[in-house]
Amino acid sequence: MRSGLRRIEEGFAAAALLVAVLLPLLEIAVRRLWGVGVPGSGPFVQQATLWVGFLGAALAARDGRLLALATASFLPEGPARSAAQTFAAATAATVATLLALASWALVAITRDAGTVVAVGVRTWWLQLVLPVAFALIAIRSVWRLEAPGARALAALGVAAGAALWFGAPAIEGAPAWPGLLLLALAALLGAPLFALLGGAAAWLFLGDGVTPAAIPVETYALSVSPTLPAIPLFTLAGFALAEGRSSERLLRVFRACFGWLPGGTAVVCALVCSLFTAFTGGSGVTIVALGGLLLPALLRDGYRDSFAVGLLTASGSLGILLPPALPLIVYAVVARVPIEDLFLGGLVPAVLMTTLVAAWGMRESLAQHMERPPFRVDEAARALWQAKWELALPVLVLIALLSGWTTAVESAALAAAYALVVQLFVHRDLSPRRDLLRVLAECARVVGSVMLILGVAVGLTGYLVNAQVPAELLDWTRDHVSSRAAFLLGLNGFLLVVGCLMDVFSATVVVVPLIVPLAAHYEIDPIHLGILFLANLELGYLTPPVGLNLFLAAQRFERPLLSVARATLPMLLVLATGVLLITYVPAITTGLLALRASH
Amino acid sequence: MRCALAFAALVGWLLAGPLPLRAEPERRVQVRLASFVPEGSIWDKGLRRMGEEWRRDTDGRVTLTVYPGGQQGEEATVVAKMRLGALQAASLTILGLAQIDEGFNVFTVPFFYDSYQELHHVIAALAPDLEGRLEAKGFVLIGWGDAGWLQVFSVKPVSTLPDLKRQKIYAAAGFDRMVQWYKANGFQPRPLAFGDIPQALATGMIEAVPITPVAALFLQWYHAAPYMTEIGLAPLVGATVMTKKTWQALSEADREALRASGARLQEHLRTAVPEQDREAVEEMQRRGLHVSTPSDPAAWRALGDHFAELMRGTYVPESLFDRALAERDALRAAPRAEP
Repeated sequence: MRSGLRRIEEGFAAAALLVAVLLPLLEIAVRRLWGVGVPGSGPFVQQATLWVGFLGAALAARDGRLLALATASFLPEGPARSAAQTFAAATAATVATLLALASWALVAITRDAGTVVAVGVRTWWLQLVLPVAFALIAIRSVWRLEAPGARALAALGVAAGAALWFGAPAIEGAPAWPGLLLLALAALLGAPLFALLGGAAAWLFLGDGVTPAAIPVETYALSVSPTLPAIPLFTLAGFALAEGRSSERLLRVFRACFGWLPGGTAVVCALVCSLFTAFTGGSGVTIVALGGLLLPALLRDGYRDSFAVGLLTASGSLGILLPPALPLIVYAVVARVPIEDLFLGGLVPAVLMTTLVAAWGMRESLAQHMERPPFRVDEAARALWQAKWELALPVLVLIALLSGWTTAVESAALAAAYALVVQLFVHRDLSPRRDLLRVLAECARVVGSVMLILGVAVGLTGYLVNAQVPAELLDWTRDHVSSRAAFLLGLNGFLLVVGCLMDVFSATVVVVPLIVPLAAHYEIDPIHLGILFLANLELGYLTPPVGLNLFLAAQRFERPLLSVARATLPMLLVLATGVLLITYVPAITTGLLALRASH
Repeated sequence: MRCALAFAALVGWLLAGPLPLRAEPERRVQVRLASFVPEGSIWDKGLRRMGEEWRRDTDGRVTLTVYPGGQQGEEATVVAKMRLGALQAASLTILGLAQIDEGFNVFTVPFFYDSYQELHHVIAALAPDLEGRLEAKGFVLIGWGDAGWLQVFSVKPVSTLPDLKRQKIYAAAGFDRMVQWYKANGFQPRPLAFGDIPQALATGMIEAVPITPVAALFLQWYHAAPYMTEIGLAPLVGATVMTKKTWQALSEADREALRASGARLQEHLRTAVPEQDREAVEEMQRRGLHVSTPSDPAAWRALGDHFAELMRGTYVPESLFDRALAERDALRAAPRAEP
């Protein structure tokens, strides 16, 4: 019965994902051939993204894969840990229940308004996925606990969520801090991040006497925004490649081309991590997925343990400036700048950061007088030839995009379809019958855990706008910060702290609307702002004592947090140099854009 | 186990327990109003002035907070927020108004109105009807607001209708019937999201886009599309609306004060907005914009009539369409009757 439900969910998520791939392709063809569009193509792709995201979030909740802080894993086994888990689950259930009811209110008004997506499909039919997903997340947060007593206790969270929804007027004017403190505690004890962000937004709205239904309105608006489908599509492309043997083929290319350099293995690690992060999105993912493969390789080549751990921890966030990394797409959606410009702007900074890390690796190798393999033309040629299909992908996407054939979303669909076709029918790494559904569902899960965070974080942004925080912040800064350099320095420091405390997606959604008006006041180029924002966050992940990647690396490499932090310190300084260059030399970012404009 | 129970009690108390309540303050109505006009623009300044008048004329019982520049989201989002009670008012354009009631599409028929005079005459005649339709959907209209007049900005010059048909023209994504009509009449529509326009202009995916001169200046699209054809495609009509729930919480005197203030803003915009569009065109001309009028006005008018037929009963309710047409034609006939 329960596996039946799982099948249905996975089937729906996979179908929605396929719709998001195929409709834009059909649209490109129909537009080129007949000059018309497919009826409702754009809106349906956007709605498919909503479905992929929230069915994926429900699936992720089922498997306990919602994004959460790693701090809870430091609790010792025993009663303390089970109490923490129960408390975390109860909090998640509270927030998810409240959001399910709030989403239902949204569905109800949409139904009454009678709006239609296209060709007779009612908007509220498609919105139903929101309350359903939040309800499933609430139930699963409780069900994942094993002890019946713990389940019963956590189930109180469902009642609490309902009480908050129906008793909303009683909460108006209540102080904000007790609720926020409770949520922060729950997050530290392992509650998923969506509970912290969504709960904070709901509690703050309630205190101001505004209905928490303001949150799902924002969630829905963001989920169906026109450029957001690029997220599931590029993720699918990355997944199709990662599931097959593409990473091996690419690793071979890099080894053959760069392995002969001094510090060759370190250089290869930096390159592979950059590419992997760019295609799979989260920087933490890279450490977890590739750490186990690359650490032994570095140690075997004679690198010092602390150097190897530091290098990999730092490399884990290198690719977030490299197209088509998800943080770039999210930034473009939130700040309303063209994705293409951000992709182009991020290229040189990404190369700069990767080069700095690679150079540090070379220095280490030269200092330790390590041996290096010779360069072999035949091996390089063979490796390049074997990986030709993978290497053609970025070329294809860029040509389609820059020639005006496709929009950003359509080129993402092209990339996803291309990667799937190559893996299924050319390399045959994946079997259509055995692997396709699994890969699609897995992609939906990853997209879902990201979109859930985005969806509730945008609710928190909605609260900040409602409370007029951006306008007040602008006034304050105008009065107290006189020069652009002083503003940038302040921004460096502020983003470092944000990067320590928040994941990249919620940080983008919550912080970007605050800093965009400020940056406009100091006449900072919007693309430059985007790149320096993400580069600064990247640094925050590595900053002791709370940088997220330090936690992940400590877990993955089974080292104490402090020793990872110490090992990463030199890399942190190297990367900080890069971030300062990116911040204060805008031409690094805007040079390519200016070059394009002059053509 | 005892520890877990105590913990659970704590959780229960914190999550569901009684929360400190404040004494009920004096009954005031706080109105949160969303707009889509840039901060500091004449519309924004007008709305803020209106807010000051509300406070003054109701002795502080009604306060207005304005969220300009689409901070509260796109029009559909803002309408949803009003329906849920998270916002109490908004200055919407025709996009949002038509989401509440399709009757407002009567202002989107191309080449239907020749002048602001005709437009304002039709608005005055249809206002009671449209306001009634709005109220049935739970909204009250506080004042109409002109947002400008759409002109065609293109990459290549347009002096005749066939010139425009040769260029790929932007069409709003999601209005498929409109796209099919464009196509059936020999145009090359490219349905796109609004946000994709700058990139699409830059890569040549589209070559022509209808927009008001002020917006073309503000968004700087006249760089990519430096030819403006002065054909007055359609007015961009807007209105400030409030939820009926909030409206009903006001006293009769306060409602009158709000309406009077809204009417003053409406009058101000009627002179300021056309002036602003004229100034925008002059400014863009100084920066290299080429302005021309088509050499075949009859062909454009015939096209307009054809689109009007298509839209009657599909986009625009027949009764409203016919009333608007009758009123417009009556005005066109009127000057001859006068001395």
